[in-house]
Amino acid sequence: MTHSLHRSGDIDSQKRDFNWFMYQTKGVNDKNIKDKALEFIAAAEAVGSENWGDVKTGPITQYPSAEIREKISDKSRIRGVFTRREQVVAFLKRIKEKDLGQSVVITGILSEVLPACKEAGVTPHSVNYSLGVWGKKDNLPDDITLSITTMCGHHMIPPKFVKHVMKQVEKRKLTPEAGAIKLANFCYCGIFNQVRCADIIRKATNAL
Amino acid sequence: MARINQEKCVGCKICQTYCTVDAIGYVDSAEKCEIDPGLCVECYVCLRQKVCPKDAIEPVELDSFYKQFQHVISDPVENHGVTGVTGRGTEEVKTNDVSGRVRRGEVGVCIDMGRPGMGVYLRDAEKVAMACAKAGVELAPAEHTPLAALMTDLATGKLADDCLNFRLLSVIIEGKCREGELSGVLKALKTVEKEIDTVFSLGLILRVDENGMNPTLGCLDELGIAQPHRGKVNVGLGKPLSLA
Repeated sequence: MTHSLHRSGDIDSQKRDFNWFMYQTKGVNDKNIKDKALEFIAAAEAVGSENWGDVKTGPITQYPSAEIREKISDKSRIRGVFTRREQVVAFLKRIKEKDLGQSVVITGILSEVLPACKEAGVTPHSVNYSLGVWGKKDNLPDDITLSITTMCGHHMIPPKFVKHVMKQVEKRKLTPEAGAIKLANFCYCGIFNQVRCADIIRKATNAL
Repeated sequence: MARINQEKCVGCKICQTYCTVDAIGYVDSAEKCEIDPGLCVECYVCLRQKVCPKDAIEPVELDSFYKQFQHVISDPVENHGVTGVTGRGTEEVKTNDVSGRVRRGEVGVCIDMGRPGMGVYLRDAEKVAMACAKAGVELAPAEHTPLAALMTDLATGKLADDCLNFRLLSVIIEGKCREGELSGVLKALKTVEKEIDTVFSLGLILRVDENGMNPTLGCLDELGIAQPHRGKVNVGLGKPLSLA
């Protein structure tokens, strides 16, 4: 799945949006992964990963981190969010030092991610490049809605729910931050960047 | 699939806000909501998020292979039965440092049909898969990517006729070509994008140098395609490391 690759929206905003992933390869290093997964989580939390989760349980915006850790199995997928390049560098340095042997992926704006790799002393092996959206685009939601819904690449966030949250913020029934958490809870993987989302909502609604 | 229990539904329409693909309609005469089975993609968001205040949304047994396929592909919580992978069931660049699936001199082609958020009928996925195959893409087999399980001919990308009218939230067409064939593949995609009733998001997977670059992307300029600014970078920490 390429669920973190095709995010959209303002480039400056995307520069504050990184995803980290730990992956196991079927038949090679996909057994007894829990201890390694816990190392990844520790490394991510040490640098302040704003969101993380396991698709089998859900994100920390919705579930206690202890519960997510407890339920980790060999079918788990551990991943999360950073909002600063410095976090990516520190995370990669620590994971490299731990030498866990799992695949590690960082998604984001390449002009941010590639220098971060260099600074951390890791060598990119392969890149999946986003060439954007093709086909019949007439019926796509508006750009602001898309900049939010594409933060869950599995598209678990209904565009109408984004509109609903925006209206609630406009009516001062929700803060942008609270609205962003409601949206983040739809993304089971924990890769939704609720910090960026709150910024987008704030700008779109002129909320304070 | 999911259905709305008409005895319990009070017609409040709250559920419509939570449908990823606008498959929940309102029947004026009955003053009730109803899920259109032709539009529903079995993503289960309405069920998992427990959106109905009257608990009227209920799961219904997925009584055919295609309905089960629809659900497994549209709901990222599920593991795909053959590939064993969650989400839409593919590995693409994620483990390429270990799997070596896309090697030097090759381009992985990863087409997210129906994405972002439009959904896709398999008849449109077939058109794109066949265009890719004709342009030189070697489509990934069923042990690597779920869509191949529906193909009657992997060499052409033809899907089984009885699946063509099923709708998914998205599905990935995956394959690879030689670097020298990329330009032709992109031209084919530029043609077929006008023949489908949905969208797709395109990803190209390449082995890169120590700076994360690969000159193969130079052909994008000749085709008037913008250079990518986003990428999913496999940082090469997996073991054993594939040098292919």
